[in-house]
Amino acid sequence: MALKKFVVGCFEDEKVLFPAVSKVRKAGYKFHDIYTPFPVHGLDKAMGLRDTSIHTAGFLFGMIGTTTAVTFMTWVFTKDWPVNIGGKPNFALPAWIPITFEMTVLCAAVGMVLTFCYICQLAPFVKRHHFHPRATDDLFVMVIECGEKTNEEELKSFLANAGAQDVQTQVAEEGWWIGRYDQEQELYKEPNIA
Amino acid sequence: MSVTKYESQLREPLVNGDKTYGQVTQDIVNTIEAKPTRLWYIGFYVSVALLMFGVYSVYREVTYGIGQWNVNRTIGWGWDITNFVWWVGIGHAGTLISAILLLFRQGWRTGVNRAAEAMTIFAVMCAGQFPIFHMGRVWMAFFTLPYPNTRGPLWPNFNSPLLWDVFAISTYFTVSLLFWYSGLLPDLATVRDRAKTKLRKHLYGVASFGWSGSTKHWQRHESLSLVLAGLSTPLVLSVHTIVSFDFATSVVPGWHTTIFPPYFVAGAIFSGFAMVQTLMLILRKVMNLQDYITLGHIEAMNKVIVLTGSIVGCAYLTELFMAWYSQVPFEQDIFFKYRIAGPYGWSYWLMMTCNVISPQLFWFRKLRRNVLFTFIMSIVVNIGMWFERFVIIVSSLYRDYLPSSWSIYYRPTIWEVGFYLGTFGLFFTCFFLFSKYFPVIAIAEIKYVLKTTGESYKNDMSTLENKEVDEFVHEMHDHHEEGAVKVVHH
Amino acid sequence: MSKHIQFESMLSLTGSNADDRYVHRPSEAGAVALALYAALGGAVAAPALADERLKKGIAQAAASLKASGSASVVVSGSNDANVQLVVNAINQLLGAYGNSINWGATLNTRQGDDAAMVQLVNEMNEGKIGALLIHGVNPAYDYFEAKKFESGLAKVAVSVSFNDREDETSVRCKFQIADHHFLESWGDAEPKSGYLSFIQPTISPLFKTRAFQTSLLKWSGENTSYGEYFKQYWLTKFGSQAAWDKALQDGVVETPAAAAAGSYNSAALAGAVAAIAAAKPGTGKEVVVYTKIALGSGKEANNPWLQEMPDPITKATWDNYAIISFATAKDLGIAVDDNYEVEVAKPVIKLKVGQQEMTLPVLVIPGMHKDVVAVALGYGRSEKTGKAAAGVGQNAYPLVGFNGQSFTYSVAGASVEGTKETFKLAYTQTHNQYEGRDEVVREFSLKEFKANPTALKDERHKLVEDYAPTTGDYRAEGTLYPNHPYPGAKWGMSIDLNSCIGCGACTVACTAENNVAVVGKSEVLRAHEMHWLRIDRYFATYRDDSGNDNLDDLNVVFMPMLCQHCDNAPCENVCPVNATNHSSEGLNQMTYNRCIGTRYCANNCPYKVRRFNWADYMGADSFPDNQRGKLDDSVMMMNDDLTRMVLNPDVTVRSRGVIEKCSFCVQRLQEGKLKAKKENRPLETGADGKWDIKTACQQACPTNAIVFGNVNDKNSPVSKIRNEEQTNRLFYSLEQIHVLPSVSYLAKIRNTDRHVGVAEAAHHEEAGAEHKEEKKAEAAH
Repeated sequence: MALKKFVVGCFEDEKVLFPAVSKVRKAGYKFHDIYTPFPVHGLDKAMGLRDTSIHTAGFLFGMIGTTTAVTFMTWVFTKDWPVNIGGKPNFALPAWIPITFEMTVLCAAVGMVLTFCYICQLAPFVKRHHFHPRATDDLFVMVIECGEKTNEEELKSFLANAGAQDVQTQVAEEGWWIGRYDQEQELYKEPNIA
Repeated sequence: MSVTKYESQLREPLVNGDKTYGQVTQDIVNTIEAKPTRLWYIGFYVSVALLMFGVYSVYREVTYGIGQWNVNRTIGWGWDITNFVWWVGIGHAGTLISAILLLFRQGWRTGVNRAAEAMTIFAVMCAGQFPIFHMGRVWMAFFTLPYPNTRGPLWPNFNSPLLWDVFAISTYFTVSLLFWYSGLLPDLATVRDRAKTKLRKHLYGVASFGWSGSTKHWQRHESLSLVLAGLSTPLVLSVHTIVSFDFATSVVPGWHTTIFPPYFVAGAIFSGFAMVQTLMLILRKVMNLQDYITLGHIEAMNKVIVLTGSIVGCAYLTELFMAWYSQVPFEQDIFFKYRIAGPYGWSYWLMMTCNVISPQLFWFRKLRRNVLFTFIMSIVVNIGMWFERFVIIVSSLYRDYLPSSWSIYYRPTIWEVGFYLGTFGLFFTCFFLFSKYFPVIAIAEIKYVLKTTGESYKNDMSTLENKEVDEFVHEMHDHHEEGAVKVVHH
Repeated sequence: MSKHIQFESMLSLTGSNADDRYVHRPSEAGAVALALYAALGGAVAAPALADERLKKGIAQAAASLKASGSASVVVSGSNDANVQLVVNAINQLLGAYGNSINWGATLNTRQGDDAAMVQLVNEMNEGKIGALLIHGVNPAYDYFEAKKFESGLAKVAVSVSFNDREDETSVRCKFQIADHHFLESWGDAEPKSGYLSFIQPTISPLFKTRAFQTSLLKWSGENTSYGEYFKQYWLTKFGSQAAWDKALQDGVVETPAAAAAGSYNSAALAGAVAAIAAAKPGTGKEVVVYTKIALGSGKEANNPWLQEMPDPITKATWDNYAIISFATAKDLGIAVDDNYEVEVAKPVIKLKVGQQEMTLPVLVIPGMHKDVVAVALGYGRSEKTGKAAAGVGQNAYPLVGFNGQSFTYSVAGASVEGTKETFKLAYTQTHNQYEGRDEVVREFSLKEFKANPTALKDERHKLVEDYAPTTGDYRAEGTLYPNHPYPGAKWGMSIDLNSCIGCGACTVACTAENNVAVVGKSEVLRAHEMHWLRIDRYFATYRDDSGNDNLDDLNVVFMPMLCQHCDNAPCENVCPVNATNHSSEGLNQMTYNRCIGTRYCANNCPYKVRRFNWADYMGADSFPDNQRGKLDDSVMMMNDDLTRMVLNPDVTVRSRGVIEKCSFCVQRLQEGKLKAKKENRPLETGADGKWDIKTACQQACPTNAIVFGNVNDKNSPVSKIRNEEQTNRLFYSLEQIHVLPSVSYLAKIRNTDRHVGVAEAAHHEEAGAEHKEEKKAEAAH
């Protein structure tokens, strides 16, 4: 957790954004992120991000659900409490299909959502620095990290030339913290903030 | 250079008027930021009043027993389970619109999916009240859960369709809620970032989980939505299938039918879409969202209604045919003597009229695009679907195997009706709160389709329509993603 | 097989069990007897009877009687001495005396002298009576001129009532001396001569009461209690303490007197014949006042078990009403259709008999003479009689007449008139026919059964052919399910529909044994009654195409219906919490404290025997005060500390919100098994007449129609009935749906040449025209 320096450029149209992204990449600048008000298809590829594997997690969670349901019901009705219910066999697999299916879906869905929240670090009371308030409205906000060697002014004019508006430098916390959006101070503060 | 999906001019725009991203935000978030209208307050207070009456009705039933209702030794389930199945059915359209239409890439879902999903969740909440409070000992409802206990080995009966319901309904509710809420996160962040008051900023800040709009997050979010949609599609089919198992797996003539699962699912979609129509037509009027919920949306849903209505009609006829063809006297008696005739014959014909005959009028395009007619039909369909469940439940039970146990005429008590009205109260209270405090249309998704299907942008694309094929292909970028055609526009 | 031919005016329980049945006007009872006497060769002129069917019936009865001669007997329920005299003459003619009629054992009930009672009341009114001790009677309620009795009583200087409650008479007496309850009393009786029975208290007196007899002893100078006096008297009689102890323990001592102590006296016959011949048949409607099986004269009207027991014929509870015929209903404009069936609000009529006028709800019942209106006695008790009796029905005793010699229970010259009012009647069975569903219940005529004794067996065998072609084992092969083993005992019940007379004793016995709740009229009205065992009453056919009574085809069949303890029970599969499952002894078990009350099991029960606790009927709930103002007074009465003493401590009292049903008296099964175990011997379930276990219904059944036992025991009666003795009559209700019930039934056989059962009934509905043709052919034949 540390404060870093970023150069921020805003774009109003994806028509302008896409060429700018490839230019920035070619120029070798390091993207911090691009904040968009809606999912812009192809932007992740353009930025060079790898595909997500969250669906694999979903599959695994689903399998856990299936296995748990089948083994649990089998154990209950054949080992722990074998009772005669309406003359049905104790191992009544067809009758367990509905519950098995539901458990599969439930585990997959809950597991995936929790995974998503975890890897994206999303939760109630999580607060981040937002580089531009209109990033969730109508601006595509490109944020480029300033390294030690980066020439800030050069980068700014580079972005402006690529079509960015309102280009500015911001020094901000790059991670998240526990906080309230209506208050500036953090709710929980670690002592070693640089 | 811009990257957009090409869409044919033959499709009518999903967003009317010349909108920018900012205007979309403004139009939709406006309902949250502005003070509610008089109409909203009236509706809200009426809903709360109904809810209170429902709470009192349930209080009576819990305190004095199910004897507060007129169900009896022969008709063990009456209005309670009728209402349950009805509400669950309604709760199917939201997920169907979100999930199945997402998988089928039906762009028109974006205008209505948020509200439809919310409706799903509220409808499932209402539905859940009935199986819970129809229990004689509701305070023991937790017995249905397979929790480890100290009473020796003691587990629920996993073979019981009612236990399948417990799993199905709770899974459906959970998954719908997750799907809905994960879709809401970006839009809540939009509201948060526009917020002028401290309280709003705080609350939407908490609710939006610190969403920033990061590209990586969007990428995962898209993947999550797609998989949840993939999961929800069989789920939504399974839920009403399982609800139909309550009846289909029994021995009661009129219930014991293999046609029930598809028939129930079609019926659920039918009634769900009708309910979506009812709400959307009110919403677009009250919230001034005619540009986002267009006649095109209404017509598309009417087409689904006429399709599913016809499927349901086929199922009704198939049932009659099978009753005759099976040569089982009990089945034949139930269908031909005591269902289409007999003391409850009126309810059968009301069902037939509302569900099968009247929706056929939607074959006329003019009527499909008539707002008032659609509104009336949406209510007629839901009345019909309520009676479908009533017919199935009551007219099967009241005269089953032993004529000695045939029932006296079943009429609900005021508390039975009150419980039903109470769920209307719950539903609309939730819906009014939702329409005030949440973006009723998925803002991000509208923005996503705006440039391909918005009215003004479609006009831009008319130049493409006029191009020669060679030229068109030449201009296509080498990007091909998930079947969508990317067009380079200079 | 014996044959029972009944001539009556309304459908009585006895009549409903008859093989052939004919109706007549009540005023024609004497004429019918006389005609029968004439037909049998009695030296009298046969009276003119208008009804062709009735005449045919008399001829048929005469032929049958002639054929069986001294092995037959004719009895009459008439209170008219002239009718009884003619009946005596018939029996004399048949040679019944000394054969089917035993002179030695006289029936000692109904010893009252109607004329003496009338005289007493007259003398009371004339002020001739100085003191009146009243015990065990209630003339202020059940005397036909109750007002006259009351005015007479007021003129009696000293009137003393010995009673356990403040009934209509007691409250009008000058002195009331609280008597013991019968369960607190000593007593003896000789209901049949030579059969002494002894009554001993089951509990010490709960209140400050004194036995009626002790009072009499005290006043006559004896200072002993009646208990002591009684014991001394019988000790001397029996001679030894041991003999007396045994008599008391057995409760009965049988010392039948030698037969032929009496002889037939024809002296009064001529007068009786003349009187009957002179009597004119009644006109207009005739009213019959009758006593119901459960409530009788109304003495026990405050017993809610009896009030709530459905009447065997009408299936109504908690009220009396006017029973009318379909013809009368038609005249009154009452449509007996689907709507009539399902609506508990019944039309009310105004019934006028001389000076008396009553407004009563009607029930239309088949088998009535078309001009007869029947009203039950025993209702309309006063407020102080008790909470259960108060406000229930109307008192019909004022309709009783007096002919100078005895009371008459039918009055001619009545009229009925419709009103616009309705009145809700709480009845437990809406539909009267079994709709041709011979899967449910079977009946045959003796003729048809003899012609093809294996008809039923063959039908059942077809099931085996269809569903178990390889092994012939319908049970195992007819299902996908595994065959669960039942080692040890496997409980089963056999119910003989031929023996069952539909009296309902089993229903009340079950209520008492299993703490079945009383729910009161308001709940029965809503089909919330709780009986674990009910008797289904079906009239196979009873109306012709034009909706009139069809007396020729009226066959009443009673079918006790209780939990069938199905081995593949549909109810068990659907319980979400496993509150009902199957024991290794074949019991369909119900775990009340696991039940959450979804009622799914009740819906899925093909026999509809599961009962739900719609309210806190038993005061067993953890919610305090949830009964207040919500349940009838009669239900609350059953929850008083005193009345709760009737609860069986071996059986759980169910709380609100749970399902309950017949348990095959599982508490008795456990007790019997323990007893056998303690005595280190196998369980006896009836083999060689030894019983460790009898269910309450079996014990109460007066005709032994219900047999219960271990079907794994080859020698138990239930096994023998199923496998050896009655294989031709054996059937399981709804066997086709393969739920494998543990209760088997034996088909009802009616000793008649008429067609009985479903085949023709179903046929009848499908093709009425064809049916008529067949009839004609039969007549020609």
